[in-house]
Amino acid sequence: MGDPTAPLEAPPPVARRRRWWPAVALAAVLAAALLFSPLVGNVTIPPEIVLRILLQHLSGGALFASPCAGYSVSPTLCTAYNEIVWEARLPEVLLALGAGAALGASGASLQGVFRNPLADPFLLGISSGGTVGAAFVFVFQVDVPQQDLVLPLFAFLGSLATGAVILLAARSRFGSVETLLLTGVALSSFLSSVLSLLLLLNPTGSLQVDFWLLGNIGSGTWPVDGIVLGTVLITGTLLALQGRELNLLQLGNDVAQSLGVDARRVRMRLILLTSLTTAVAVAFTGVIGFVGLVSPHIVRRLFGTDYRLVVPGSAIIGGAFLLGARDLSLWVFPSSVLPIGIFTAFAGAPFFAYLLYRRRAGAPMGGG
Amino acid sequence: MSGTPTVRCRRLTVAYGPRTALADVDVEARPGEFLALAGPNGSGKTTLLRALLGFVPVASGSAEVLGSPVASLSVRERARRIAWVPQEEIPRDDVPLLEYVLYGRYAHLRPLERESEADRRAARAAADEVGLGDRLADGVLSLSGGEKQRAVLARALVQEAPILLLDEPTAHLDIGHQLDLFERVRRLARRQSVTVVAAVHDLNLAARFADRIVVLARGRKVADGPPTDVLSPELLERVWGVVAVLRREPRSGVPYLVPFRPGPAPPPVGTLGPGPIHVVGGGGAASPVLRALVDAGYRVTAGVLNLLDTDQETARELGVPTVVEAPFAPISEEARAANREFLGRARAIVVAPFPTGHSNVGNLEAILPYVGPVPVWLLARGPAEGWDFTGGAGARALEALRRAGATEVGTVPDLLRECAARLASPPVAPA
Repeated sequence: MGDPTAPLEAPPPVARRRRWWPAVALAAVLAAALLFSPLVGNVTIPPEIVLRILLQHLSGGALFASPCAGYSVSPTLCTAYNEIVWEARLPEVLLALGAGAALGASGASLQGVFRNPLADPFLLGISSGGTVGAAFVFVFQVDVPQQDLVLPLFAFLGSLATGAVILLAARSRFGSVETLLLTGVALSSFLSSVLSLLLLLNPTGSLQVDFWLLGNIGSGTWPVDGIVLGTVLITGTLLALQGRELNLLQLGNDVAQSLGVDARRVRMRLILLTSLTTAVAVAFTGVIGFVGLVSPHIVRRLFGTDYRLVVPGSAIIGGAFLLGARDLSLWVFPSSVLPIGIFTAFAGAPFFAYLLYRRRAGAPMGGG
Repeated sequence: MSGTPTVRCRRLTVAYGPRTALADVDVEARPGEFLALAGPNGSGKTTLLRALLGFVPVASGSAEVLGSPVASLSVRERARRIAWVPQEEIPRDDVPLLEYVLYGRYAHLRPLERESEADRRAARAAADEVGLGDRLADGVLSLSGGEKQRAVLARALVQEAPILLLDEPTAHLDIGHQLDLFERVRRLARRQSVTVVAAVHDLNLAARFADRIVVLARGRKVADGPPTDVLSPELLERVWGVVAVLRREPRSGVPYLVPFRPGPAPPPVGTLGPGPIHVVGGGGAASPVLRALVDAGYRVTAGVLNLLDTDQETARELGVPTVVEAPFAPISEEARAANREFLGRARAIVVAPFPTGHSNVGNLEAILPYVGPVPVWLLARGPAEGWDFTGGAGARALEALRRAGATEVGTVPDLLRECAARLASPPVAPA
């Protein structure tokens, strides 16, 4: 091998990845999902007309007198198309986007906080709390005029109460992340037993609870979208701004602390924000599994482990993932309202298994 | 190395539940000083560092950095005053080295502030300082163990903290990297007047690099001073339970200890009974003898052997108590004395056919007074040209032993038969 006294040569430096391409790729995924999803539905509407309807509303009616002008579509049908696209499909699409983004951003943050690739918004029992809240409404047949509001409110309060318990545990000075994670698992089991007890008291709510547990984005209306997207925009931004702290936390609590990160405070802040974000999503959609778990893994695979990118990236991938699941369910079963959670799990579970086995066989899966 | 102390612990006591890990410890360190914390495992070295970092609560007494109690400082303020190099950090993510080093700037950045060009320059300079300037684009997972520790050191450097704490930073490194890391840290302490406090379990390493050594044992301070004052065989025996010989490096005068652990205490000199068989050897000649005797169940001692010698390594593997001398060094008076003690306790002495040079001919000469009181067996050697490299002294010493009554045996099995026949008591324990 040549002269043994020669200095050993280091391999040539790896070219640095360009920084802009993840942002461009994510924006493209988001745009594609948003443009494609309104085209999918029970009624077949020509894509150009869907597009024109969207543009007409977005431009405040300035662009076209009628979106169907120039097409052989009767005015009655055109009005119906308009109703379908703007009042039914788009709110549903935006709810899917908001809920997916909420779950994705929460999942990424929690995987970072717990340094555990299996953490997701539901592991801490937040969804179980929401389910118990919802079950109250179903089981006791809470009957008030604003039924549409009561269910989300109860689910939200149930989720938030659970988040508060976790937060109290996180305040403890000596609780490790492992302890906290186990607390969440215990809480989850406890809430499941409360749910079973409730259903035992009044089995008539059982079917509704089952349906709720599978998730549903049919409740999307413009006001709901406003609440969900507004919340996600605020909490998601706040979560994404903790990216640097999450990066440092990956080195372990002690090291992060020695570098100036108040690990306990950051952990509490992130648990508070993810609880809130998840609670809002769960309140309107029920339990949608796997989005929060899988989205961060996809982002890490594609763009690396920097949490400053993983958190916002997971929000976008989560939104796109849920939209994809919606489109898939409508394409496979065009005429029935199918709980979307079935499709996220259907696509998500095999993918997750694939990730797990790939990890075991090859390089470490970073970040989680 | 002057000025007010930057690190000051007064009657510091730390408890983990009912167990007191640190009791009434007073420690001070000043700018530019390299203070080594030494002591056996569980003596409280790490606990002292963790108390200074604010990781463990102070039960009583105080732990102060730059004049303020650690507990009164915010996490961020602590990070600006103290940098920490843990024993081993295992990064999870393959972060580029530059980013990894930049993590050290966190405490200096306002929330959401991006690292400036000055921060990047500092990171590059720190990477240069630890010899990783050409690896900035590489992921940290691609670094070797020694490089990883240097990367952590670089990250600690960009913290620009006046105090640097190291927790056995070289525990997982080989000897070359240990020396390299400590050398860099010492230079840093001198040049930038950084206060360095390092937990070091290797006393010799501590003596070589530290200005001062604080020795902890069972949570208490048992010694505090410059290496020349602190290092002594007595200390090593008292604190670590290890018998050692103290030597001085010829050029620098830095003291170092050559340890050897005695086996189960042999009976006092002069009493009859089943004492051990002492084997004299070197260069691998004694290894078969040592194995055969240990296998047969005899208690065996050996000496004087040089550290790293084949026979010394065999003796260590077999758990044979051995008088050890520094590598390639002539036998010192301390080692001679220790060897005489072993010879005096032996119930028989075996001389392996070891090559004899000026450095170890004393091993042969030392046996003479014991021929007679105990049996001495000489394993057969060829003509003197083959083993005597002293110009005759070796052959003369061997001849003197023969004349005094030492018996020659042909092979190792012959030796075992002699032992069985001549030594009254059977082997102490079956192998």
